[in-house]
Amino acid sequence: MRPHHRITHPRALHPGAWWLWALGLAAAASRTANPVPLVLIIAVTWFVVSARRGDTPWAASYALFFRLALIVIAIHLVFQTLLSGSTQGTTVLFSLPEIPVPDSFGIQLGGDVTLEALLTAFYVALQLAAIFCCIGAANALGSARQLLRYVPAALYEIGIACVIALTFAPQLAGDARRVRDAARLRGGNRGRVRRLGRLAMPMLEGALERSVELAAAMDSRGYGRTTTTDPRARRTTSLLVVAGSLGTCVGVYGLLAGTADSWLGLPMLLVGAALGVLGIASGGRRTGRTRYRPDPWALPELLVVASGLAAAALMFWQVRVDPGVLVLSSSTAVPPVPLLACLGIALALLPAVLAPPLPIAPARVAR
Amino acid sequence: MSDVAVVRVHAAAAAALALSSLVTLVAFGWPFVFQPGNGFEGTSHSTDAPWFFVLILPLLAAIVLAELNAGGIDAKAIALLGMLSSVGGAMRALSPGVAGLEPSFAIIMLGGRVFGRGFGFVLGCLTLFVGALITGGVGPWLPFQMMAAGWVGFASGSLPRMTGRLEVLALAVLGFFLGLFYGLLMNLWFWPFGVYGDGLSFVPGADALANATNYGRYYLTTSVVWDLGRGVFTFLLILVAGRPLLRALRRVSRRAAFGVPVRFEP
Repeated sequence: MRPHHRITHPRALHPGAWWLWALGLAAAASRTANPVPLVLIIAVTWFVVSARRGDTPWAASYALFFRLALIVIAIHLVFQTLLSGSTQGTTVLFSLPEIPVPDSFGIQLGGDVTLEALLTAFYVALQLAAIFCCIGAANALGSARQLLRYVPAALYEIGIACVIALTFAPQLAGDARRVRDAARLRGGNRGRVRRLGRLAMPMLEGALERSVELAAAMDSRGYGRTTTTDPRARRTTSLLVVAGSLGTCVGVYGLLAGTADSWLGLPMLLVGAALGVLGIASGGRRTGRTRYRPDPWALPELLVVASGLAAAALMFWQVRVDPGVLVLSSSTAVPPVPLLACLGIALALLPAVLAPPLPIAPARVAR
Repeated sequence: MSDVAVVRVHAAAAAALALSSLVTLVAFGWPFVFQPGNGFEGTSHSTDAPWFFVLILPLLAAIVLAELNAGGIDAKAIALLGMLSSVGGAMRALSPGVAGLEPSFAIIMLGGRVFGRGFGFVLGCLTLFVGALITGGVGPWLPFQMMAAGWVGFASGSLPRMTGRLEVLALAVLGFFLGLFYGLLMNLWFWPFGVYGDGLSFVPGADALANATNYGRYYLTTSVVWDLGRGVFTFLLILVAGRPLLRALRRVSRRAAFGVPVRFEP
């Protein structure tokens, strides 16, 4: 067995595997309004992130997303409190002084705040929060920055532009410091706005200047040059791409016009998407480049992806078998426990041990 | 029209761009497209529509970018795109929309103005993408933001040819309205997911007018202040700094000599 197939061999997992795992969990979260699986999903993402997070700068983004999730919940509760109206529920928790608003405006400020209304808002916000936590986990574990290495070949030039942008963005801070020091040496102190302008313009000019130099350097080393283009292949790609977007358009129309069961809806959307993917694949052949030292896609990656997909699959199975436990009959009822869905979410916890541990020494520098 | 077209929008790219823009617009506006009574309540897909859009939009953004890319982006355009989007992305990372202060809007608009609408579209997409990568905030909202910012760059590249003060003023006014509309659209994509109390939330199955009024109320009570802030800030920024920025960008455009045929002579 090659070392990268073992789950104990320290290495960084393929970032795509983490994203697929998180997508599976997010898909599971999108199917339920029951707080039990939602809280479980949040807990699972928290646990896996704490177990397998590196000390990279983007590892902090889980905390960022978690805070965002808390803000979402807070906003929902505040809005529901202020604008509760009197349509939901009878259990009055407390009453806010009512502010008279003309009837034509259609909203009611203040008034009775009911438990039912607050709980409904909380559960809706909890679903969003769970999805946010999944995305945050994906961002923290497998940075999208590393995924940039895997942009389709059809987007090769734009991928290069992204890499340039990410490489030079940190240098802007250094530029700013240099310009500010120079301005300080020259003396003169004229207002904050003017000083900002004196900082921003030289920085931008410097960046533009550098782009011309970089372009010359790239040109002389043959970057950004595509291999020979065959006009026929080019035309095929264009045809595929336009047909794909047309198909998507028709599919979306069919979906929204309510003919979802006929060929116009979902099938058309899928055909359009498939044509678009084909177009991108055939457009990628023109560059004829190979990938430099690709990350291995081995057994641990497959296991991690499988655990994420298991969460989604068991949730969808639960929807098919017994959808009643995934929604609450009334918001104050004690939420039932959907066993199948919870089993799937528990499976998604496994990457905390199935993913290989990160190398301890900074042997591998992530790009 | 701008001075040069660094990224040419050929016929196939224009078609792909138009079609995906249409889908994106529907993705933003689907709460107002649903009408009760045309057989939609029977299917379970009415609640699935937003998820379909979240899945389909990354693909569409990739298609448009690939098609624009295939028109031939040379090394100069790549370097310029990289630099400008790093400036814009860093600005987004420093001021992530706090009180609507988004200086990256001005960069996208002026870049689209000087280097053409195709470049403007790609620059808008890339700026948002790089900003998200720097802050570690990649999520399902990103394709929506990228398309909307791409439109911003495209629109400012499509303004008719003007000179001097008039050009700066026109760009500034355009910036005001684009800043406002950007917020209007961006709220719209997550608005149907939440519950904000009676009279402010999306009501599935209600007719388009009722949902539009609900959204109007939501917009007026929550985000119009931020969006006005963004619009006014973009307006002022372009008005004050537009001329020196345009001059700097045009200087680079001259130095890079876009559109000059390359000839090798023995």
